[in-house]
Amino acid sequence: MNDSGPKKILFNKSTLFSLKAELLRKQEEVNEKRQQPQHKLENFKPPSAKDKKSLDQDAKKEYKKTFKDSLKAVDTEELEACRKAKLALEKKAELYEHLADGAGNSQLASRFLVDFNTKKQQEPEKQPEEPIQLENESNVSEDDGGEWTEFTDCLGRTRKCHKSDIAMFLKRDMDLMRAINKDKGTSNEEPEAKPEEPPPVEKEKPLLVQTTNDYLQSLRDKWEQKEKELLAKDKDIHYQDLLFDEARIHGVGYFSFSTDEAERQKQMEELLKQRQETLKAQKEAEQVRKKRDEMIAARVAAARARQRARAGLPPEEPKENQKDFTTCLLEFLTQQKNEADAKAKEKENKLKEEQEKERQRLREAYVREWDIGKDGVEGKVKKFREMSQEEYVEQQRDKRIKEFAPPQASTSGNSSIFDDKGNKVGSKETTATATKTWDDVRPRVSTPPPPEIGELTDFTQNKGLYFSSSKKNDGTSASNNFKYRNFVKAQEPTPIVDELEDTDAVVEDTRREKRKHDSEGVEVPPPPTFEYYGPTIKQTKFAKPFESDIREAYSQGAKSLETKSSGRQLPKHYDFTFD
Amino acid sequence: MTASEVSYNRKIISEDLSNVEFDTSEDVEVIPTFDSMGLRDELLRGIYTYGFEKPSAIQQRSILPIVKGRDVIAQAQSGTGKTATFSISILQSLDTTLRETQVLILSPTRELATQIQKVILALGDFMNVQCHACIGGTNLGEDIRKLDYGQHVVSGTPGRVFDMIRRRVLRTRSIKMLVLDEADEMLNKGFKEQIYDVYRYLPPATQVVLISATLPHEILEMTSKFMTDPIRILVKRDELTLEGIKQFFVAVEREEWKFDTLCDLYDTLTITQAVIFCNTKRKVDWLTQKMQEANFTVSSMHGDMPQKERDNIMKEFRSGQSRVLITTDVWARGIDVQQVSLVINYDLPNNRELYIHRIGRSGRFGRKGVAINFVKSDDIRILRDIEQYYSTQIDEMPMNVADLI
Repeated sequence: MNDSGPKKILFNKSTLFSLKAELLRKQEEVNEKRQQPQHKLENFKPPSAKDKKSLDQDAKKEYKKTFKDSLKAVDTEELEACRKAKLALEKKAELYEHLADGAGNSQLASRFLVDFNTKKQQEPEKQPEEPIQLENESNVSEDDGGEWTEFTDCLGRTRKCHKSDIAMFLKRDMDLMRAINKDKGTSNEEPEAKPEEPPPVEKEKPLLVQTTNDYLQSLRDKWEQKEKELLAKDKDIHYQDLLFDEARIHGVGYFSFSTDEAERQKQMEELLKQRQETLKAQKEAEQVRKKRDEMIAARVAAARARQRARAGLPPEEPKENQKDFTTCLLEFLTQQKNEADAKAKEKENKLKEEQEKERQRLREAYVREWDIGKDGVEGKVKKFREMSQEEYVEQQRDKRIKEFAPPQASTSGNSSIFDDKGNKVGSKETTATATKTWDDVRPRVSTPPPPEIGELTDFTQNKGLYFSSSKKNDGTSASNNFKYRNFVKAQEPTPIVDELEDTDAVVEDTRREKRKHDSEGVEVPPPPTFEYYGPTIKQTKFAKPFESDIREAYSQGAKSLETKSSGRQLPKHYDFTFD
Repeated sequence: MTASEVSYNRKIISEDLSNVEFDTSEDVEVIPTFDSMGLRDELLRGIYTYGFEKPSAIQQRSILPIVKGRDVIAQAQSGTGKTATFSISILQSLDTTLRETQVLILSPTRELATQIQKVILALGDFMNVQCHACIGGTNLGEDIRKLDYGQHVVSGTPGRVFDMIRRRVLRTRSIKMLVLDEADEMLNKGFKEQIYDVYRYLPPATQVVLISATLPHEILEMTSKFMTDPIRILVKRDELTLEGIKQFFVAVEREEWKFDTLCDLYDTLTITQAVIFCNTKRKVDWLTQKMQEANFTVSSMHGDMPQKERDNIMKEFRSGQSRVLITTDVWARGIDVQQVSLVINYDLPNNRELYIHRIGRSGRFGRKGVAINFVKSDDIRILRDIEQYYSTQIDEMPMNVADLI
């Protein structure tokens, strides 16, 4: 600094000291920064040559911004300006290099404030940090002279230089090599970074390798490390283990748990605890709010009451009693409607449920083509394979309770066709009856010709006809038998009881009973008044129950209205108008 | 099984369905919130912390039927939460106390399988669920070890999964659900055999869920072979493109000019993140090299790279360290990187479905996106065909395209 050059600058001593201090601070800073990996020289590329590539990740953002801005107006003027700036920068870089090389000898040097001379003196102090380890890369062979040495650079050229300079040259060579590699992107950088385990696959097939700077490389190493940990981990794997610095926006409640299992457990517990506390607090707050609302409502009511009292009005009725007729009606109607809706919905749901059940059954029965041949499918397939008509009839027959089978005799008749070949082939008559259900048949059952009373043997035989499949009872007609084919419940003996006790099966029960009662004495017609007038008086009273009720209610309502003496309450008018 | 029985089943299945129009099932319920779906508390917490607030259309419709155990065919536009749909359903129907594989998810690419694994773990973060990515290109021993440890869900690619099943490392007896993500791709010629192989090892009548943004008719036709009365939730093809993704084209006279156009666009690419699609791996290599020679920072990925490298590229791209990715159709389906807002079709895709999937890499879950197609004069016809097929609009690229990103 003593050699301050040809310029004369006016200053006092304090400024000089502060300048010196500032300079030292800056130098310190620079040195510090140089230690960081991403600022190492290897990463640096002259901006003139490859401005885009050499950008650091953090610098990129700003860069993008400027580009976005520039994009908005892509006119030629701006481009021209850009080009000019670039040219100026290039010139500047050239000049700087020249000055640095010439180190103050140049005439130009006097024009600038930077002291290139001292700069050059300082440089070699910092140089010899790396070159020793680099020597094995290029073959250095010492010449006999001892002072001069020879080495081969990355391009295969043999170069001679002074021994003291070899470190610098090697370093330059190294930088050049890196620059070339990055430019072409053809060489493999990964083995360089971790030569202890070069991936063999990559060596076999030289692939296009992505440009990586040290920062990316450090990230990759970090991920690699993480992955290894993950593989070694014999416990559960969680989301955070796989995140690998992914730039993803999560929800508001997202919390990045620790990848350490114990720590994670702790965090989870803490989270749960806090959640419960939150829930509790929410509940409490809700209660407090409710209380406050109630209090306010009470206060408002009290205030209103006071106001009314002051105006000489009677106190208001409690809310429940204030409902007028229309609201009551409306409520009632809506309630009815809701009930009806609910019923309809329920019905619909039931229907749907049934349909769904049916579909579910079908689904369970379905066999996928790709499932055929799997264990457990075989049975299913058999169960639902198509049957021939005969097979189906046979199956149904097996299922049938024997008592309901048609008697053997009928097989000889024309209905035998029906029995053998099923519904399809049966004669017209038989198909008609066959499709009939119990409901169709029943009316005819109620009016069979009654058997003769007194012949008990006949009766038992008849009974046998109905309820046993014994083949001895062949005497009855086929048609009679046929009617009971669809008889579901065997234990329905009522018609038979009637047949025995009463000869007139057609008469209704009540009348018959009456007649039974009457038949004991002389048949006397009931007095006309009893039947027609006696009960009718009562009946008329019941038939129109509302008339008196309404009258009564009306009079009561009117009375109460009078007692209330509140003709002012408007809605009550409805009572009058309604009637 | 007799021959006649087989032929009987064939008879039913080989009905001619080519004239049948497949529609969304009628009885599909729409549930407007996650809260009203009756999901587990822990799962709900996972859903909300992952970033979902309101279920998307597909989520409102498909989650419940899947949880109920029905076979489901679900279609929805790209980036509308299909993966989350089946992930949520899976997590809801899992029995986490049973440490066996209960659900198998198959997807066409390793990256997608890994991504699904991540989503399952994220949504199930509070449920203690274990999900393994069973994919090729990784260490077999590790795979076996992880599966032996006990995984509730396995998300994988068909090849490795089949291998694991055959080695009896992946036991199938407890599997109750099979999910085919990107189902149309999985049932295409290349994959169908492999899917069949895997399916043969599953218990009969396993619940099957098909999910994709594109479900061509011929795929829907064949679903009866491995699905039972499926519920279909479909999207008409004229509603398949998203409003949020603006589509443009740049007309170039010659192939070489595409490169210059790309260079001109580079600054636009790096505004957020961009994916450039080429049709071949070789072209990806070539373009990457050329871009790097021209001092543009790009990374690239395709199926011929070693898995390690693929993983690294994916991580770099996901972390935002690299911003421009040149790739093949290996990246076309399913991959979700939120920040991607620009897709460039350096070459037009080979089919219409791929177009939907490629442009769907941008505009994720309601975000904006831009797709730019480089077309030579004879390609314009193809582009117009795509435009017409999806009833969408592909305009010439405006100067201010950067403003749209």
